[in-house]
Amino acid sequence: MNPVENIVEVTVFTAEMFVVLSPILFLSFGIVLALLLIAWQRSQKMIAVFSQVILVFTLLLSIHLLSGNILSGEGVQITTLLKVDQFSYLSLSLLCLSALAVVSLSGQALKSQIEVHDEYYLLILLVTLGAAILVASDHFASMFLGFELLSISLVGLVGYFREHKYAVEAGFKYLILSATASSFMLLGIAFIYSQTGNLSFAVNSAAMSWSPVPLQLFNSVGILLFFSGIAFKLSLAPFHFWAPDVYEGAPTPITLLMATVSKVAMFTVLIKCCFSQGYYNNEYFIDVIIIVALLSMFVGNTLALKQQNIKRLIAYSSIAHFGYLLIILLISSEQSIDFAWQSALFYLSAYILANISIFTIVLAYEKQLSQNGQERDVRIDDWQSMFWHRRTEAVLLVVSILSLAGIPLTMGFIGKFYLLNQAVISQSWWLVSGLVIGSGIGLAYYLPIIFTVFKPSEKNMLKSHHPKGVLVARPRIFITLLIIISFYLGVFPDSFSQYIM
Amino acid sequence: MTEIPLTHVLILSSLLFIIGFVGVVVRKNTLFMLMSLEVMLNAVGVAFIGAGSVWQEADGQIMFMLVLTLAAAEIAVGLALLIRMQRRYRTLNIDVLNQMKG
Repeated sequence: MNPVENIVEVTVFTAEMFVVLSPILFLSFGIVLALLLIAWQRSQKMIAVFSQVILVFTLLLSIHLLSGNILSGEGVQITTLLKVDQFSYLSLSLLCLSALAVVSLSGQALKSQIEVHDEYYLLILLVTLGAAILVASDHFASMFLGFELLSISLVGLVGYFREHKYAVEAGFKYLILSATASSFMLLGIAFIYSQTGNLSFAVNSAAMSWSPVPLQLFNSVGILLFFSGIAFKLSLAPFHFWAPDVYEGAPTPITLLMATVSKVAMFTVLIKCCFSQGYYNNEYFIDVIIIVALLSMFVGNTLALKQQNIKRLIAYSSIAHFGYLLIILLISSEQSIDFAWQSALFYLSAYILANISIFTIVLAYEKQLSQNGQERDVRIDDWQSMFWHRRTEAVLLVVSILSLAGIPLTMGFIGKFYLLNQAVISQSWWLVSGLVIGSGIGLAYYLPIIFTVFKPSEKNMLKSHHPKGVLVARPRIFITLLIIISFYLGVFPDSFSQYIM
Repeated sequence: MTEIPLTHVLILSSLLFIIGFVGVVVRKNTLFMLMSLEVMLNAVGVAFIGAGSVWQEADGQIMFMLVLTLAAAEIAVGLALLIRMQRRYRTLNIDVLNQMKG
């Protein structure tokens, strides 16, 4: 690097920025260290512990910075590319939390294979880094880089168990899906750039009214393409092809990673972009959002009705959940941005917590099945009479299913309440009715799971499905902890929502 | 040299993009699907460079470089998957990849 550039960087990059950016810097540094660690010694146990340590530290750093008073109000702009505010820290903590859960849950899924799986953990860390860049980005270029880091690492992870029956299929479908998504998004960015002349989020595209009519058309098409690119990644309704297949074919911890880290990061960046570009003033865009949201609620909930495979069911239900979340984008004015962020983050936290809980149990049962010599996905029937044999897990499952369904005294209910409030404030009655009807249909597939859990076992059923004491100490503590957190946050949501404010 | 209007560049890139997208949707051979993806990404590149030259900025060209890097990375992963597919199914036809239903 020549000296002139050096001087420029020193003036641009202050110590405060280093502090603000430290979680992301730490994460990237950790990835480099992990690479060196692999070069030094290939040991799966070591890399697993190491990546957990990195994620825990990143989580602690971001929580520390969130509670500290470094960020007052507007947030800190770090060059033109990144902007970190309290909401980015909060979603970063959520991301680290879910990545941590994925890493901790992966151990047993990997055990059945003989090789050393260094790359697996490395890829998870890279996905987390991509997501972290996404939530901090304030520029289309940095957003694009985070997006690709996230997608390409995820493609590798989806097809990770190469000998698995569906590995190639799921991997290839995800590759095509994410490549199509990124080209749609990029074309959208190119169109927006051709009109605004600036790639930063902060430039308000609504102000660009000087250009002639055909060019304004390109701007609208650009916004639409950009949104549909992100909608592909969030698997919203008209863009949801293959998403359930990918969920089913991916290794189960990776399904959790896709359902949480990737979606939360994408949704955060979507909110960030829409709010700072002022798309909520664009009536045309709002109509599109309403249609996509309604379609997602309807399609997700209806297709989930007849699913027996848990992973597919979660896939369809997540389509519906992100349909509900789109309500957030319809804010009426700039004053309500903070409230919209709070609602979104609360709902996302509830969603993440419920998903982590459900997948913990799915993985425990998958392990059980593979010990019985059956390599297949967990179906709802496998959970029959769970309550009478494995009580702690059953309680956790019931709580998280209720939370997803949005029954009172769970986090999910409060989240839905926030969303309903948003929809009423923005007076979009279509979305209000969509949310209500969607939740009603949702009960039709959530409640049967609970019925199955409580159903007494039939005589001919193998007892070996639910042997007692199969859980070693660590998962049991984890599960108990999850139950306590879910209950606590469900009954006292204030303790968490104050934290968001 | 006469200047090319921005609209023409954008229309060209949209046409290229549509050709690529149709290719991804219609083609049965996975190798050609990957190639169509490349066409889509290059269409984006045309739009970026056209827009960058209108605004007299380097941003568009830098974005194009990033897009190229992405294309390379994506094709690397895609070809690796393709080799797995060829080994496993002895064909590159996308129709063999429809075992998951439900």
